[in-house]
Amino acid sequence: MAFRYSVIFYLLLTKAFLFPFLLELVGAEDKQEEEFSEELLLRPLPDRKVLAHFHFESSVPSTETYGQHHILFPKAIYQLVQKFRIREMELSFTQGRWNYDRWGGFDPMSSSNAKPPGVELWAVFDVPLNVVDATWKNLSHALSGLFCASINFLESSASFSAPGWGFRSHSGYLRYGALPREAVCTENLTPWLKLLPCRDKAGLAAIMDRPSIYKGYYHSQRLKITSATIGITLEQTLTVVLQPSIQRPSAYSSGSSFFQPNWSISSLFGRKIIGKCVLAKTSLVFLELEGNLISKLEDRGKENTALEVSITPTRMFQEANKLQVPTSSIMYQFSVEEYSDDRPLDMGISWKLPIEWTCSQAPFLTSRFLMGSGNERGSIAISLKSLGQKEMLSDLRLTSSTDECKVRVVVFQIVPWYVKAYYHTLQVFVDGRSQAFSDLVKKIQVSPSEDKVSPGVMEMELELPCDVRSAAITLEFDKGFLHIDEYPPDANQGFDLPSAVISFPDLQASVHYAEGNSSRSPLISKFQARNIVQSYTEVLLVPLTTPDFSMPYNVITFTCTVLALYFGSLLNALRRRVGEEERYSSKVGIKRGLIPQVLSRFSARLRGKKTGEEPSSSQSSPSSATFGNKLLFKVVLVALFAVVLHYLNDH
Amino acid sequence: MLLANCNSKTSWRIHGLMATFVFLIFECAYLPESVALASSSSTIHTNNWAVLVCTSRFWFNYRHMANTLSLYRTVKRLGIPDDRIILMLADDMACNSRNSYPAQVFNNENHRLNLYGDNVEVDYRGYEVTVESFLRVLTGRLGPAVPRSKRLLSDEGSHVLLFMTGHGGDQFLKFQDSEELQSHDLADAVKQMKEKRRFKELLIMVDTCQAATLFSQLHSLGVLAIGSSMKGENSYSHHLDSDVGVSVVDRFTYYTLAFFERLNMYNNASLNSLFTSYDWNMLMSTAYYRLDLYERHLEEVPVTNFFGSVMETIHTDSAYVGIPFDYLLATHMETISNPPMEGNMTSGTTGERPISSVHEESNSDIFRRVLRYWDEMDSDEYVVRYGLLVMPVLLAILIWLFK
Repeated sequence: MAFRYSVIFYLLLTKAFLFPFLLELVGAEDKQEEEFSEELLLRPLPDRKVLAHFHFESSVPSTETYGQHHILFPKAIYQLVQKFRIREMELSFTQGRWNYDRWGGFDPMSSSNAKPPGVELWAVFDVPLNVVDATWKNLSHALSGLFCASINFLESSASFSAPGWGFRSHSGYLRYGALPREAVCTENLTPWLKLLPCRDKAGLAAIMDRPSIYKGYYHSQRLKITSATIGITLEQTLTVVLQPSIQRPSAYSSGSSFFQPNWSISSLFGRKIIGKCVLAKTSLVFLELEGNLISKLEDRGKENTALEVSITPTRMFQEANKLQVPTSSIMYQFSVEEYSDDRPLDMGISWKLPIEWTCSQAPFLTSRFLMGSGNERGSIAISLKSLGQKEMLSDLRLTSSTDECKVRVVVFQIVPWYVKAYYHTLQVFVDGRSQAFSDLVKKIQVSPSEDKVSPGVMEMELELPCDVRSAAITLEFDKGFLHIDEYPPDANQGFDLPSAVISFPDLQASVHYAEGNSSRSPLISKFQARNIVQSYTEVLLVPLTTPDFSMPYNVITFTCTVLALYFGSLLNALRRRVGEEERYSSKVGIKRGLIPQVLSRFSARLRGKKTGEEPSSSQSSPSSATFGNKLLFKVVLVALFAVVLHYLNDH
Repeated sequence: MLLANCNSKTSWRIHGLMATFVFLIFECAYLPESVALASSSSTIHTNNWAVLVCTSRFWFNYRHMANTLSLYRTVKRLGIPDDRIILMLADDMACNSRNSYPAQVFNNENHRLNLYGDNVEVDYRGYEVTVESFLRVLTGRLGPAVPRSKRLLSDEGSHVLLFMTGHGGDQFLKFQDSEELQSHDLADAVKQMKEKRRFKELLIMVDTCQAATLFSQLHSLGVLAIGSSMKGENSYSHHLDSDVGVSVVDRFTYYTLAFFERLNMYNNASLNSLFTSYDWNMLMSTAYYRLDLYERHLEEVPVTNFFGSVMETIHTDSAYVGIPFDYLLATHMETISNPPMEGNMTSGTTGERPISSVHEESNSDIFRRVLRYWDEMDSDEYVVRYGLLVMPVLLAILIWLFK
């Protein structure tokens, strides 16, 4: 009996102790699965435009059991990561320029999704230092094949660089390259969509109507890979800024310039969301209203009178404790699962009252421009203009060791080798006055360009006082010459200098949503992540001296003419019938030079006068043998001359 | 308004000559193989490839891109998959800031058909489209890092369609408005392709001014060429779209497309019916065909042999038994080393390429010797230098002889 009891007791014990453990195991196995999520964020912008941000995230755990086989994760990306040992990689295709002034410069959207025009690629490799460059080159080729773009132009060492700390701190293993003039079009989107498990056939990607996406003011397609020991995460985002077509009832037409346009998903994209991608774990649509807009709405009195959302959201949550901004932004969440073919999701906004607001802006508005004129030299200027938001910087005073409030600014700029920057001419101006270099610049690292080998890279850290109104950095350069074959076919258009990256390491743009944690939406968690505020400057168009491209043709024709004259006359001299000449000259009795002889013969021919002819030419004068030797000598001389010329040409 | 695809500028031929020289050198290296295996006419048609090239840059050449995309759409519709189409577009027209229809390209002012579609895949674009990259694609001389999507991976049973459009002139076609492809370059590339057994049959279709002159140097068997105009003739654009603001298609391509729009994958229209469909009154130029290098009768060849991907189905009673590669290789090596044996060889192996003739086989030894000798001379510079040394001696001897 005692034995039976003890068995029961033992069983109970095992149940009590093992069961939670087993549950945990099951939970862990749950985590080990491949996941895919799709989200779309819509946000009205102050300048009557709408921001649409698609966010797709796939992740695969690092497990050997699957091998090369995946359920959701794209095989092409998995192979890329495995082959090139990528630790982190970001590739973006952008058309248009993000307007930091109007669309925001101090939120997670602008700091991580605003990209420079053209193609930007950076990657961190997990390979020995000496093969990083080679891996980068192979990666650029692979990506060019995968994404139908000329990314392979980043292969040449003159087009990529290895930033030390100015871009990201992965010293040595990071490579950065940009192609500012790369076109972005449907052919780049096609392979990008093929990486999604539902492609563009179902789910949120199905509303991507190509003409409406590319009609926008800004269009940025991004792909980010993060590979760690726990697995690989692939983040695909598409950010577009669209102009809704204005449809406004006539009653409001009086002050229509202040009215925001009404819009809905179907008016923006021409399609409605008719269901989720069944493979997606989460499929959500968000509508974000910024804090500044909310505060304006609240100023009007009752909330939501000026603005009406066409569909009641599934959930609504507010931004949590942000100190500087008086009111917090609001996020409406719509779950795509609840909608179907019969009841498509066509969320929209209609405005009842005119409203104006501004976006959250970065402390400094950055821009870059060219100075100087002519085709010989010029200078690049980067200007930082304070937007007078001191409260944003006020908390910096607490963090810094001294009493002074200072803001750190990191500038990272790459210039191609044909723009020969002189780094000793670097000048810093604060509020219009030139400042001592050492007062402001805390750290600087410069690698000068090498002709046709490497670009010039400048990484610089400035410390500016918080109350500065404007600051500027100028750098002089000389314009170089390219080889005639290196000019692109449209050289007269000028050459593009890639964007500089200006970042503020002290400032972080992250938005914490109060109830966003429970949903575990990847997009919301991206918002909460530590995003350093950064902005990309304009691409600069530098006109270089272009040669006369028909010049080689002219040179060839002239050279050929000269050569023809030389060889023609030489041949003439060699093939001359010497015996006849001699007899003729002996008859005349005067030894004349070669050219007068030719001339006299020519004039004689013209006059039609017969020169004295000898009955036979068989008799050879003793001098002709010596002349033959001379001739041979001449021929050898010419040949030697040709050989020497060829030899010199080679070396 | 008619726009002609011509270029009156005298072409700058240095590039072409150099390319010719280089190709000639490499061809020598491939000679033995070519002679030994000259005839590939009896290999089975295995797959279809298309190389579609638009060589013109700048917005006003919109129609050239529309031409190329029209053909792209046609071959895709008739069954050639995207990974067997090499599409080269020299400029971005679809997302060009001047295009009032973003991400769309039209070849007709009725705008009924968006050629760019939703799933276009461009393999070479922008500055990548050069004479060099074009010749490299044809001949397969690409670096090891170049991805498969940018390679023409055709084999000896491939039917290849090569479509080119742009501005051209007497014996040249301009690329990017800055360099030229010479008829010699093209012929040499095709010859090299033939030597490397990169095609079974090749159809070259060119829509440019004086397109016929581009084919004048071709001399490889199995090549069929169609050009939009004869020497001295211009090729004209078809019509202007006032919404897009430029001419949208060339006449030759427009009527080619009109022919294909009537067809589907299962249609048996012959190449001859395509060729006879061109009319001077429509094209305002004389379409030119070069048929002398092509062995088959055009009436028997369906257009889907080139513009589609329709394979001949071989019915087998039992499961397919392939010939192991090693065995093929072994027999091949044997035929080269023992010419008299060859008669018995072919009878046993089904599906293997029959050897062309005894005479050609016996020559292979000599060529192998030449090849070995060639390999020993490790660089072309030797040839040049020895040649220069030999030249004066020869000259001297000649002068001494004829003095």
